[in-house]
Amino acid sequence: MIDIRPVIYVNGILLLVLAGAMGVPALVDWVGHDPDWRVFVTSAFITALVGAGMMLATQRDGPPKITTRQAFLLTTAAWLLMAAFGALPFALSSLKMSYADSFFEASSGLTTTGSTVIIGLDAAPRGILLWRALLNWLGGVGIIVLAVAVLPFLGIGGMQLFKMESSDKSDKVRARTSAVAAGIVQVYAVLTLICAVLLWWAGMSFFDAVCHAMAALATGGFSTSDSSLGHWDSAAIQWILTLFMTLGGATLALFVAPWRRGGWELLRDSQTQWYLSFLVFFSALLTLWQWGVNDMEPADALRHASFNVVSIVTTTGFASTDYTQWGGFPVVVFFFLTFIGGSTGSTSGAVKVFRWEVLFGMAGVHLKRLLHPHGIFVINFNRRRISETVVDSVLGFVVMYFLSFAVFAFLLTMTGLDFVTALSGSATALGNVGPGLGDIIGPAGTFRPLPDSAKWLLSFEMILGRLELFTVIALFSRSFWRE
Amino acid sequence: MFDLRPVLFLIGNVLCLLALAMLIPAAFDWRAGHAEWQAFVVSAGVTATCGLALVLGMRSGWRHLAIRQAYLTTALCWVVPCLFAALPFLWGAPDLGLVDALFEATSGVTGTASTVLTGLERLPPGLLLWRGLLQWLGGIGMIVMAVAVLPMLNIGGMQMFRIEVISAQDRATPRAARIGSTIVGVYVVLTVVLYLALWAAGMGRFDALVHAMTSISTGGFGTHDTSLAPFDQAGIDFILCVGMLLGGLPFLHFFYLAQGDWRRVARNQQVHWYLGLMLLGGLAITLWLINSRGFGVATAVRHGFFTVVSVMTGTGLTSIDYSGWAGMPVAILFLLTFVGGCAGSTAAGIKVFRFQFLFANAIMQVRQLLRPHAVLVPSFNGKPIAREVLGSVMGFLFVYALSFAVLAMLLALLGLDLMTSLSAAASAISNVGLGLGEVIGPGGSYAVLPDLGKLLLAAGMLLGRLEMFVLLVLVLPGFWDE
Repeated sequence: MIDIRPVIYVNGILLLVLAGAMGVPALVDWVGHDPDWRVFVTSAFITALVGAGMMLATQRDGPPKITTRQAFLLTTAAWLLMAAFGALPFALSSLKMSYADSFFEASSGLTTTGSTVIIGLDAAPRGILLWRALLNWLGGVGIIVLAVAVLPFLGIGGMQLFKMESSDKSDKVRARTSAVAAGIVQVYAVLTLICAVLLWWAGMSFFDAVCHAMAALATGGFSTSDSSLGHWDSAAIQWILTLFMTLGGATLALFVAPWRRGGWELLRDSQTQWYLSFLVFFSALLTLWQWGVNDMEPADALRHASFNVVSIVTTTGFASTDYTQWGGFPVVVFFFLTFIGGSTGSTSGAVKVFRWEVLFGMAGVHLKRLLHPHGIFVINFNRRRISETVVDSVLGFVVMYFLSFAVFAFLLTMTGLDFVTALSGSATALGNVGPGLGDIIGPAGTFRPLPDSAKWLLSFEMILGRLELFTVIALFSRSFWRE
Repeated sequence: MFDLRPVLFLIGNVLCLLALAMLIPAAFDWRAGHAEWQAFVVSAGVTATCGLALVLGMRSGWRHLAIRQAYLTTALCWVVPCLFAALPFLWGAPDLGLVDALFEATSGVTGTASTVLTGLERLPPGLLLWRGLLQWLGGIGMIVMAVAVLPMLNIGGMQMFRIEVISAQDRATPRAARIGSTIVGVYVVLTVVLYLALWAAGMGRFDALVHAMTSISTGGFGTHDTSLAPFDQAGIDFILCVGMLLGGLPFLHFFYLAQGDWRRVARNQQVHWYLGLMLLGGLAITLWLINSRGFGVATAVRHGFFTVVSVMTGTGLTSIDYSGWAGMPVAILFLLTFVGGCAGSTAAGIKVFRFQFLFANAIMQVRQLLRPHAVLVPSFNGKPIAREVLGSVMGFLFVYALSFAVLAMLLALLGLDLMTSLSAAASAISNVGLGLGEVIGPGGSYAVLPDLGKLLLAAGMLLGRLEMFVLLVLVLPGFWDE
């Protein structure tokens, strides 16, 4: 049995941070004379109380030392707890949401998914809207830290490829890792700020601009209007968001101090090249479709096609229009795009470009080996050879991904959902994308009509997808709890 | 450029065989007094002429097949017969265009069971028999390919199923010949047994013959538009269910059984998973039928299991119109479409063993996370799975998924809706033949699809039947060099 005290201790700290974050919407509501500020204060109080209790009960001298097993438990527990407490403001607010709905909304926020159960966002109190955006944004910070500092060391899904290169001394690695993480979070914050200012300049209200900037960089996708970005039918606003969603789905580490890197390292990164070409290809394809088949103006076609393609591929989930009305072909394309995901080291979810690259390499090697059975072929990434353990774990990840997708789709149909809703709902939750397909959960719908059991399933699927599957699945392995 | 003569010689042989097969429906039609027998005789003549020309012209001057020739032969041995098998449809069936005839023939040879024909009851018996015969021959072709060719070519992890031969060359040949003849013998005997059983259960002799051939080959062409619904007998459904189930088993194991090595068969993990998945799916659908549709237990078991076995083995016979089903059973059927049967069976799809390999590896990955420095190797039937094998399987799976996605997108581009394009693509690549949705679901027909869509689907069927890589390797730039 492992020692769970450090796990509880760190989770206590995180809850205190969450309680602090609840102060922000409380302040906004208080300034705006909205009675909902009491809700946030109450929730913050409860959260802080529990957090402090957890810390005090398990406090020991010196900084906590975390082993591998504890790291798995810590990560999973942290996301579950944050979602559970992040749900409090929704449950207590004037929206009168059930706890299942609240938990769904909170985990959708923290995992930067962006699926919502709330109808009537345009009239919702500002505090709640800000809280949703904040959850997105904080979830984004969480995933950056996770991707830089935790996953590579746990060796999950090929992420060991992105381990910081450094000398072997562990404290040096730790110092460097936290420096890198801090650098990335700074980039993230600065980009959010720029995005907010630009949106404001393009004609959004200041409040909406801030909320959308936070949701865009986090590739979260919570909007402040029921019709998402369809509410702001302005080319400038949508293009700005397209740009910043693209940035949010790119490897953020490459933006850290670009002047120190000399030249265009970003564009020489093979993952970024694949990512951008993929976006361009599918945007162009759908632009042609919209222009040729649905007779949209070329400029509008380009804007809507690229906005929605970028939104789905980066797993943001904004929608500039109801693209399920575009006809059969776009719907099929959007279904498959749900699985792609952005680059590693970004806030986006799903399988991610780097793993697709490895898979392509694997298929190519297999093909070449068919002709030359005794040849030796290697898979390269960024002009360097990938070790076999990395290939193996990418393989394991992809298999688990599609297995989880199938299992959850199946479970969702058991709660009574129809085929398209279940299939696309499972894909969208696992990839942290946001909207599904079909009449109910499509970009124009919400997840509200689903039964509670389906909402719980989707909430857990979002967390499973966000934690790159294996962090959670490892907990279910028998050997985890032995020894 | 390498020597094409052996390739053409072998194709010539296959064509001669096909021409002979065409004479059987000709005889049936002639006896029943249908004028269509002429179409079969003419087609047989054309096919035999081409076949004999190739055989006689390319007979001498070569000794054995090199690896590239083996790929080309395997691919062409499926593609060329499809072209010639379309001739009777073109000349014999009322108003069938070239594309339709090609689609029907490809669907038959690959054991898919997608059809563009309607009004099957009114068709001359020759054509119905020809459809059954195509699937039956395609079934033998599939087994031979899966047992003898694919493992040697290392396609998609099939190298794990190389037949262990004693190293000395002279001993190996008789054993391989014995295995081959046993397997074909078992296939023929099973067909005859099914035929007799179906006849005893009350089917007409002609219907029994066609259904026996299309169930053991997991093909799925029937003699009625609504497949098995007109018969509506539990006995018939049960016999066909067993037939399809047998068709999805690894045929090599019948050889081991014939040798009395039943332990080896009983311990085979692949068969366990195959039956286990079938049982789970069947149970889930049975329960759903009882709960949501108010079926009696016996009826629910019968239709639930029949549909699951039919879809999972890639057969495509239907005992009940499931187009009204919604939600869970649809998801089960859609997912099972991808699973398929065992390696070395007549069934297509990804196949059970590939899922087992990958699952074993994924479990290993979870263990590895907790013990980063341990050396862990996944195993299958007690044998370790080598890295290259895993790589092959993953490469296969990736190409499979990619082909599925591209095919679905192309179909949607032609104007089909989400459900139709997803299920048509899945069903073509997995050689199932049944779709979901209103257009191509049970009772529907592929006749309404655009011509380009039919050609794409036919290509998808061949791609699926040839396990992707046999065709893909042909377009590799290095293939035609030297």
